[in-house]
Order: sequence, then structure tokens, then C-alpha cells
Amino acid sequence: MELIENIQKGERAAIAKAITLVESSKDSDQQLSRQLISELIKKPGKSIRIGFSGPPGVGKSTFIESFGSYLVTKNYKLGILAIDPSSQITGGSILGDKTRMVEISKNPNTFIRSTPSRGTLGGISMGTREASIILDAAGYDFIFIETVGVGQSEIVASNLVDIFTLIVGPGSGDELQGIKKGITEYADIFIVNKNDGELKIEASKTAADYKSALSYYKKLDKLEKQVLLVSAIEQTGMKEVIKTINQIVDQNKQKGIFEERRADQLKFWIEEEVKNIIASDITKRLSSKGSISKYSEKVMKNEMSMFEAVETITKDTLK
Amino acid sequence: MTNKSNNGFNSWQKSFEKETKKNFSDAKSETDEGIDIKPVYTKDDLENFSFVENNSLPGQWPYTRGPKASMYTNRPWTIRQYAGFSTAEESNEFYKKNLESGQKGLSVAFDLPTHRGYDSDDDLVMGDVGKAGVAIDTVEDMKILFNNIPLDQMSVSMTMNGAVLPVLASFIVAGEEQGVDRSLLSGTIQNDILKEFMVRNTYIYPPEPSMKIVADIIEFTSKEMPKFNSISISGYHMQEAGADNVLELAYTLADGMEYVRAAMSKGLDVDDFAPRLSFFFAIGTDFFMEIAKLRAARTLWAKIMKDFGAKNERSLILRTHCQTSGVSLTEKDPYNNIIRTSYEALSAILGGTQSLHTNSFDEAIALPTDESARIARNTQLILQNETGVTKTVDPLAGSYFVENLTEELSKKAWDIITEIEELGGMTKAVKAGIPKLKIEESATKKQAKVDSGSRVVVGVNKYKNPKEPSVDVRVIDNNRVRDDQIKKIQAIKKSRDTRAVEKALANLTNAAKDETNLLTPCIEAIKLRATVGEVSKALEQVYGRHFAKSLSVSGVYGKHFEGDKDFMKVEKKVIDFENANGRRPRVLVVKIGQDGHDRGAKIVATSFADMGFDVDMGPLFQSPKDVAKDAIENDVHAIGVSTLAAGHKTLVPELMKALSNIDPKSKIIVFVGGIIPEQDYEFLYKNNVSAIFGPGSNIIECAEKVIDLISDNLSKE
Repeated sequence: MELIENIQKGERAAIAKAITLVESSKDSDQQLSRQLISELIKKPGKSIRIGFSGPPGVGKSTFIESFGSYLVTKNYKLGILAIDPSSQITGGSILGDKTRMVEISKNPNTFIRSTPSRGTLGGISMGTREASIILDAAGYDFIFIETVGVGQSEIVASNLVDIFTLIVGPGSGDELQGIKKGITEYADIFIVNKNDGELKIEASKTAADYKSALSYYKKLDKLEKQVLLVSAIEQTGMKEVIKTINQIVDQNKQKGIFEERRADQLKFWIEEEVKNIIASDITKRLSSKGSISKYSEKVMKNEMSMFEAVETITKDTLK
Repeated sequence: MTNKSNNGFNSWQKSFEKETKKNFSDAKSETDEGIDIKPVYTKDDLENFSFVENNSLPGQWPYTRGPKASMYTNRPWTIRQYAGFSTAEESNEFYKKNLESGQKGLSVAFDLPTHRGYDSDDDLVMGDVGKAGVAIDTVEDMKILFNNIPLDQMSVSMTMNGAVLPVLASFIVAGEEQGVDRSLLSGTIQNDILKEFMVRNTYIYPPEPSMKIVADIIEFTSKEMPKFNSISISGYHMQEAGADNVLELAYTLADGMEYVRAAMSKGLDVDDFAPRLSFFFAIGTDFFMEIAKLRAARTLWAKIMKDFGAKNERSLILRTHCQTSGVSLTEKDPYNNIIRTSYEALSAILGGTQSLHTNSFDEAIALPTDESARIARNTQLILQNETGVTKTVDPLAGSYFVENLTEELSKKAWDIITEIEELGGMTKAVKAGIPKLKIEESATKKQAKVDSGSRVVVGVNKYKNPKEPSVDVRVIDNNRVRDDQIKKIQAIKKSRDTRAVEKALANLTNAAKDETNLLTPCIEAIKLRATVGEVSKALEQVYGRHFAKSLSVSGVYGKHFEGDKDFMKVEKKVIDFENANGRRPRVLVVKIGQDGHDRGAKIVATSFADMGFDVDMGPLFQSPKDVAKDAIENDVHAIGVSTLAAGHKTLVPELMKALSNIDPKSKIIVFVGGIIPEQDYEFLYKNNVSAIFGPGSNIIECAEKVIDLISDNLSKE
């Protein structure tokens, strides 16, 4: 494919069109997309994939602008995949992340792609994993995946990246009780943003809260979680962030955890794909047979119990 | 209504209900501000007021009826037309002509690079030099601007907010070199930075240092320039950006309070500077509402200043300049704009403004010509000389309706002011982006009302002119202006004492690190012929440049169209498009260059998204190259360029070039919206622009056209 060559040459338009392809819901595009990804995956690049999540309003995009600016001055090539929520009602979206990435969006060493979530689970859109494979093949050193921080997204996002970071704001320590379960298991780094001006004291306090809460988890997990203080506006703490990322990557590579994770993620991916195919196949069969409505009528008329209906439909469909 | 037992009223009500076949209690119309207007008002509607005092007099507490006892009976309002044309020479000619034809004050419009603190030779501003105003790079330009205009006799108003320091410094130095002491200079500098963060976006530094600069200027002028107004607190741009009258009123007064606090924090006594604060409001087409707004503004400000402890009566009085609404002008059937402007002017006069700018009818299409500027000025001369409106002070006082409306507006605005105060004041609210979002929401609602036809705009969505008149417009050769300015900068840089300039700029940077007043070191640098750009950069080293976060509303537009046939047609086209192409139509909406008026771009973005499009928003102040990178990386189908500052003839071809530089096979289509003279249409089409949408375009029709163009373009594969 000519497209593959052009991606590997780093041509902006080729990368962009390839991402469109993997995000497309059209059958013919999806077939092409599978061919493309199978080819690209044969020759993996050297990208480190980093996930950034966090509740709305903590300054994720501003942090990425600030951290990204720091990285490009060190001559790293940076790919950014930002996922914006689509409206539940209209299905349309406003993709506004780039309005907060003024400096890095101009830089020739960046590639920034926003993607509407289109109602998928946890803000990870269809095609995000594939898009990161494309950016990897195009020679980007770091790939940032920015997601809307709502509940499940951390878990899905963490399955796409080598390092998962959670960005939080000053004063969020209290919420830790409620959310720690999902997050502490999946996040490698906690970044407390807005360590500036009036909020400085509050930010340090929050970082301390996280540190103490996380100390309980050390024993359960093989890895030590890091808590860092930054100010996206003042661009402070960025050196520590990249240092920590590099340390964790090195350490994980030494311990074999890096490869282990990628293998797990591959398993997860395969499982997901299989489930998706089976699910869509079964959906088709169910609707063609019309058995759901047929049997639910019977249940309504008390002709059979609900569980009998479920069993019959299942047997019938899987035949 | 407190007293309906009145027999006379009851029989009136019966007749009313018989005539209209409606219940009286249902016969209300709701304004944009959420005020219910009743079909009739009576004496009872003058009761239970908490702001308006029924028996007050002009020039007396609470100043509802006017700042002065005699008002126009003694001296009519000042006709003050805002203008600036590309170069200082042309503007100077224009001013002199206007002064000869009866104008009493000057108002200077600057070009966007000057506003944003860039010199004309900066690559970033290539398309903006001399557009929408005059380019000032050094004090030499300022001197040409006022050549043969005696600055000790002429009051000069300058619309400048971002680069206030170098511009005011240049004005002071130009005066001195003309032989006029700074203490004799009179006029106003807008110096209202908070509203820039809300709507106009021509700021340079972040909010806090910007507020310090405002306070520095208030401090300096209160001590050294007793005849000069240090600030013009402006609601105008809020209404232009779509704010309703309550939002405009409340946010403007809340801004005023913030400036008062900033000045007091410099150790000034409130009475030292408050008499020199002035205001600036927009006057739109809602006739009585606008009158009531000015009356309410004076009433509330008197109360606010009393609470600040002002003792001097002059501190309590709100004095204001007004301008007729630019956003009410339409590109379609443009002569209607003369009529709109006339009514708006009458509103401003009945509301008791101190000075007035009337817009030229062609301003929805281009910058005014000599002829259209003359008509605009004559609108005021006719009001002053032929209609008799100057013979009675506040002639609407005692009107049941107008007094009641004044009270209602005051109440609603006061609630918002209280809310802002509880948040910790306007700087904080602005940083959080709340006012900006509220204004955008209001703007989107207004647009939806026009597009859905529930608000009539004559000649646009009803009573359309079958034979659109063609109008001559002013043409600006932007490249020539830029070349001339660059030559002037180069000549000055050669002849000045470079080392002294560098030292002065270093002093300025150091002053920014301390808390000292910045205007004095600025004047020194400007005297030595430092440029506006150099001065701005010297401060930028300490303060940084501000980039705004952009929040967007959603769902507000679509709400007005539930069940609307045209709207649903577009929605369906979007879904069909997605089924055929595997994704939704995707459009990047951008502003290019230094023009920060983003109301149009925001409304297009939110309404397209409400119709189901995926809409990318670019940051403000992008270069054509940045836009092309953004568009290609996101593989959008189309780019919508919003342009209001006449830069399109340079910037659009640059964009086309940048697109094909990155991707020679690019199939991205480009459409343009905003203020574009019809003469330029052909030029743009020749440069492969696919569609052009002027002011007053129906957004649903635009969306349909865009999706059709995209589909056509894709089928050409």
C-alpha cells in the first residue's frame, strides 16, 4: 500500500487519512483498516504511549500544552489523540481541545488529532488503539491519549497505554475515598495540577493526601505509584514528569513488566474484537429471527416464565 | 398589578380581551432579557420600586434622569464618530474633514496589530495591518495622525485596551512635541481590559497584570492629566457579541466596580479618580429597552459609588458615550440600516447619552465611505437641529412603561452584579470564563430566533428585497499600507539612538518586575522612538502573553428548532452522510489573523454541532499555516473561515497555499463567513473558495449548503 509508505515517511496527510480510515464505521473502510493495521503492526516503532485522564476542569489540555511544549523543545516528536464527547442528543460534537493547545499545535513536531467519542464506553473512541499504532509507525516518540475522565474511561484507556496518568486538581484529596478503587489500580502517576498562586498550599496538601492514601496500595501492586506537583500555567514541574515517565518505563522494561503489559493489552484487544464480532453477529441473528419480541409477548401473557424464554432464545440463536 | 378593582381598568380590560380574543394575563411578550412586557401600563406600575425614585429630578440623586440638570437644553450631546483609516495620513485628512462639517470630538480606531502590540513588520500580522483602523508603530505615526489638529482644544477618544501603555504614551509625547502640556490633553482612552477577555479578545497579557496596567493608567491620569478620562467602561462589545441588555448592563457595572477597587488598591481615594470614569454602551433596536438601560445604568452606578464611600457628587454620576448597534446592521437590503441607525440614535438621546456615534449603513459590508459617513453624521445633526428633542430634559420621565422598565432592568442587573460579587468580583469571574459563556449563550439564542423566523429582520428573513441594491464600498490596499509602514519603521530604527532605546526598554522590563507605575518609563521609551511592538515585548518578558481558554455552549441553538422542517432536513442529511461515508461531516471553524471577534465563529460552531456535525474549533490568532496543519491533521471535510476585519483578501489565498503545501492533493473545501464586500466575492471564488456567507445569513441554510458542497466534492473522487 502506498498509504503505508507515506505513513512511514511521516506525511501528515497520510497519517490523517489513515486515522480517518480506522475510525470509520463503513464496512469497506474497516476492511482496509484491518489490512493497514496488520501491516503496520509488523514493524513496531519506538513510541511510548501515555494516557492522560482526569475530571473535567482540572486543566488536562492546558497541562498537555505545557508538558508538550517542554517536550518539543527537547526535540521529541509528539502525537496527541484527544477524545471529545459527542452530544448524546444530536450526535454532533465540538472538538475544542486545540483551542487550549495554542503553542504545540503550531509546532511542526506535533500531530494533534481530536476525535468525537460517538457514545462509546468511557470516552475511548473506536479506533484510538489503531490510531496510536499509526502514529507509532510514523515515528512519533510519545503518543498522548487524552480522555474525558468519567468513571469507566480510566480502565479502557489504561489498556491502550504504557503509562497511565491521572491529572487532578488541588482539593481533590477528599474525593479519593470514592474513586480510589478504579484509579489506584490503573494509574501509574498522579499529577496534581494548579500548583500555583493562591492554590499552592492546597495543591501540596492534596499531593500529600494522595501519597498517604497510595502508600496502602504498595503491597498489593508490584509498582510504586508516583505523585507529582505541577503548574501547567507556569510550566513548572515538567522536568520531573518526563523524568518519572522515563524512570517508570526503564524500570518496567528491566522487570519485564513493559512487555507483559503490552502482551496483556494484546490479549484484551483480541478478546474485545472477538466479543465485538460475536455480539454484532448475534444482534443480527436476533433481529432477523424476531425471537425477542415473540417470546416477550409470551412472557407478558404468562405463557412462560422469563427465564424459560431466555433459555429458549439462547439455545435457538446459538444453534 | 396591585389595584385591579378600579372600574376604568376593568372596562379597559374587557375591551382589550374582546378586541384581541386573548386573556389579558396571557397577553405578554417576553424580551431577550426575560422581562414580560404587558400591553398596557398604569399608575399602579410605579409602585414598590427599590431603585427608581419617582419624584427625582435631572442632575440629582439617583441621577436616573440624567447627569446634568439642564442636559441638552443647554448643550446638545457630542457627535463623536469613531474612525480610522489604514494610515495616519488618511485618518488625519478624514478627521479634518469631519471637524469642518460640525463634529466636535475625535475618535480613533486602531488596526488589530496595534491593539495586540505588534509592529506592522511582524510576520504574524501580515493580513491585518491597516485593516479596521490606523496602524501606529511609533510616535511619528501619532504625530501625523494629529497633524494640524490642536490637541489642547480637541477632545480625543482612543479605542485602545491591549496596548494602552505605548499608545497613551505616544499620545502624550505627540502632544508634548506639538507644544501641548499633558495636563491640557482631553479625551478618553478605553482602557477596559476585562471586556476584552469576555468578548473582544484584543488583550495582550493575562488578566492580573492587565488589571495592574489599568490601575497604573488611572493613577497616572488622575495625577497628571486632569482633563483626561482614564477609562471607558464598555458594555458595547458585549451587546455586539450577543449579550442581552441585562447582561450588558450588569457586566459593565461589575467591571466598573473592579476598576474602582484596582485604583483604590493603589492608595487613591475614590473621589480622586471616580469623576473621570466614563462608560460606553451599545444601543440596539429594542427602542424602549435601550432608553431604560441608560436610565437604569445611572441609577445603579450612583448606588454602587455611594457604597464605595464616594463623597464628591461627581463620583456618583455615570457619564456615557453610546454607539448604535453594529450587529443590527444587515448586508441584505443595506439602506434599511440608515433607518435602524436613526431609531437607535433616538433611543440613545431619549436615554440621555453624553456623546454618540451613529454607524454608517455600509458597515455590515465594509469600512464606511465618505458618503456613508456623511449620512451617519447627518442622522445626528437632524436630530439636534430639526426634531426638537433637545428642548426638554428626559421627556419620558413619568411614563408608566419606561419607569417600570427602568426598575425591572435595574433589579435584574442588580441580581447578576450580586452574584459576581459573591464569586469574588469580575476578574475572578472572567478567569473562570463565566460571563463569556453567558454572553455566548445569549448570542446563540438571538441567532436562533432570527433563523427560525420568530424574530423578524426586515429585508433578511421577511420582506426581502427582490432587487438587492449594489453599494459602492471603500477598498483598502493592505499590502501597500504594510509596505509603507515597514519603510517608516526601518527609517526610524536607523535614525534613533539604539543604545538609548535598549536601555529605556530594559528599564521598562525592570519596572514591570516592581510595582512602580509603568506609564513613566513607557513615555521615556516612546520619546526615544521605541516602537509599540518593542514596548509590548519588553512587558511580555515579565507578564507573558495571554491565551484564552475557550468554552462552548451546546444545545442552545437546536432547542429553538424542535420540529422545524428545515432543521430536521439538515439533521437527516447528516445521518445519511454518516451512513454513506462512515463518519459525520467534519468542519473546522476558525478565525485567522489578529481579529478576535469570535461571536460569529462560535455561533456557527455550536449550531452546526447541534445539527449533528463534528466541529473542530481552532484557537484565536492563528496564521493560515497553523490552520492548514490543524485541518489536515484532523482530516476535516471543510474549513469555515470567519472574517470581520477585512483581512480575507490576504489571508484566504495564504490558507489555500498552506493547504496545498502540506497536501498537494488536499480536497478540503473552504467557505468564508463574515463581513465581505460583494466586490471581493469574485476574487475569493477565483481563489477556490466554495461558498461565501454574509452577515444575516440563515445558519440552517448555510449548513445545508456546506453539507451539499462536501458531498459533491467527495463524489468527484
